[in-house]
Amino acid sequence: MAPALLLLLAVFALPMLQYAWLSTQAQTVLTELEPQPVGLAQWQRLLQDGRFWQDAFQTLRFGLCSVGLELVLGLAVALLLNQPLRGRTLLRTVSLLPWALPTTVMALGWRWIFNDPFGPINLLLAQVGLPTVSFLGDPAITWLSMVWADTWKTTPFVALLLLAGLQTIPADLYEAAALEGANRWQSLRRITLPLLSPYILIAVLFRLAQALGVFDLVQVLTAGGPAGSTESLALYAYINAMRFLDFGYSATLMLAAFLLMLLLSGGAVLLWLVSRPRWAGGQR
Amino acid sequence: MTLRRRLLGVVLASITLLLMATGVPAATIPVSVLMPASFADASAPLVREFNASHPHIRLEVTRGPLDTESVSDLAISSLLLGSSPYDLLLMDVTWTPKYVAAGWLEPLEGWLGDDAMAPLAPGADLGNAFSGHLWRFPMVASMGLLYWRTDLMAAPPRTPMELAQISRELQSSGAVRWGYVWQGRQYEGLSTVFLEMLRGFGGRWIVDGSPTLDSKEAVAATRWLEGLIRQGISPPSVVTMAEPQSLQVFAAGQSAFMRNWPYAWNELNRAGSALAGKVGITTMVAEPGQPHVATQGSWGLALTKGSQHKRAAIEALQFLTSEESQTRLYEDFGYTPTRQAVFRDPKLVSAHPELPELEAALADAVLRPLTPVYAQISDLLYRELSRVFTARVSPQQGMEQLQEQTLQLRRTVGGEI
Repeated sequence: MAPALLLLLAVFALPMLQYAWLSTQAQTVLTELEPQPVGLAQWQRLLQDGRFWQDAFQTLRFGLCSVGLELVLGLAVALLLNQPLRGRTLLRTVSLLPWALPTTVMALGWRWIFNDPFGPINLLLAQVGLPTVSFLGDPAITWLSMVWADTWKTTPFVALLLLAGLQTIPADLYEAAALEGANRWQSLRRITLPLLSPYILIAVLFRLAQALGVFDLVQVLTAGGPAGSTESLALYAYINAMRFLDFGYSATLMLAAFLLMLLLSGGAVLLWLVSRPRWAGGQR
Repeated sequence: MTLRRRLLGVVLASITLLLMATGVPAATIPVSVLMPASFADASAPLVREFNASHPHIRLEVTRGPLDTESVSDLAISSLLLGSSPYDLLLMDVTWTPKYVAAGWLEPLEGWLGDDAMAPLAPGADLGNAFSGHLWRFPMVASMGLLYWRTDLMAAPPRTPMELAQISRELQSSGAVRWGYVWQGRQYEGLSTVFLEMLRGFGGRWIVDGSPTLDSKEAVAATRWLEGLIRQGISPPSVVTMAEPQSLQVFAAGQSAFMRNWPYAWNELNRAGSALAGKVGITTMVAEPGQPHVATQGSWGLALTKGSQHKRAAIEALQFLTSEESQTRLYEDFGYTPTRQAVFRDPKLVSAHPELPELEAALADAVLRPLTPVYAQISDLLYRELSRVFTARVSPQQGMEQLQEQTLQLRRTVGGEI
């Protein structure tokens, strides 16, 4: 217990404290990279920074949509892979491949697939006489392209977690339900989902944490464009630190993103706690 | 056994003595330089040569990323550690003021002399000095060029209107699908494209430390670029294009014009290229009476303040930027030289008739604003332009907002930019 706490303290609490301190400092090229105390000025700046709010909205939109989509698709894949199919082991392995790819490589691949006009999708559209789609050049479409690329990559991860959960559900529960005349939809709603809910929660927490901190996918696929419509909070914080050398503000942004994530994860846990008695009770 | 051991001892001792007598140095001085991948590859033969002719120095090149900004990110991460592993950095022209303000670089005039810039060609001498010191010696010059198809027109357009007109004619005759491709993605390249148009319409980015981005000239330049997309002279996808994507469209013969850097010349004229011998280069179009300018994008070597081997590093710098090295980088890889003597080498000029064109374009080069907060003001610019191109913000509205944002930045940094 003690070593674990110590480790957590060293790799998590200390950097957070350092960030909290840095968010009360101005440390930029103009201060010759020496930290100078500025009180809460950085936080004030954050609240008035339209770009922060835009990026917060975009990060949330991306996180909620991609995690939602991944849950639905992941559950479907998990249910499928849980069936006694021929070559199931092979299928399970193959379905993990997208997840095993490094995000940068995957993002480069999608950048090429989405290319206008030379990408395969647009070549195909042109061949059948349809207009090409500006997957990466239209603020209304590009964020969806990004959600799709993320979903493609991380659905296997969600499916894997949920598959592990599915295998803990005893088969006789389904048999008993079938004897009572329950159809498939009923057993999915009344047996599978309640018993799977802790696994769904874990998948949501893992994925939300990752999706709200999204950086590499954005950096490679769009660099935040077009019109800043795909910039995430993490990318904005990175740009502030590495391009603008504005470390105080970058730390403030990261902390704000962290608080946002904490809020959402807390919300997800709360939702689970509240919904559990209803599921577990079985009384209607 | 003992005899053998004694013999071995004698042999070892005599080798040591021999080495000491012939003066082979006990240790070589390591010099490390960070370069973007393409430059690292191109200079590999030069580095081998340097190491062979300078046995007391061991020059090692770290092959950084391909993308300009990623190289800066890597350099900065290492410089932030306090003691950089690099003695020399191959730097883009826009980084200098920021790195200087951060206190990461060593002035060069003490090492190279006060007249170090004298042999440089006009245009290549820009962007190396800042706040009274020399920080960077340019190794490769680069500037924005207008590529045009010599097989489709007799002479290149000189005004924005001519460019649009020739484009439309060639598009309606079916000779090309598109008129003009450039770099419209939300990134630094868009700022370089815009600067050329801005100056060509008579506008300025920063005057005396203050932005003038809501001037009617700036709005006109923005409107012209936006109009290219709206009228179908540039493809809609131009807003996603960086240099390679525009080159791809142009090299496929699909566009009459392209804005790009000198590297594209080699790509277009290499064996097997469909456009070999059918491409000309010139400076960007401009309104009558306004200058035809080329955004300067040179790369130069800078010495880090933390370097432990400054003297050896300077030797490497001088070797890599010498006339001989620049000639070879140009002949073998098409990298534009920075020394006047290389541009004027008659043998080189007769083998490469495009060299005087490059020299002329370089002489028309303009710098992006030299300020430690350049990354911020450029980020504001390309973001806002991207909004005008893709988010239905009018050029007038976009430029007014950009002016306001840049003024806001100017206030937060306390005065001038």
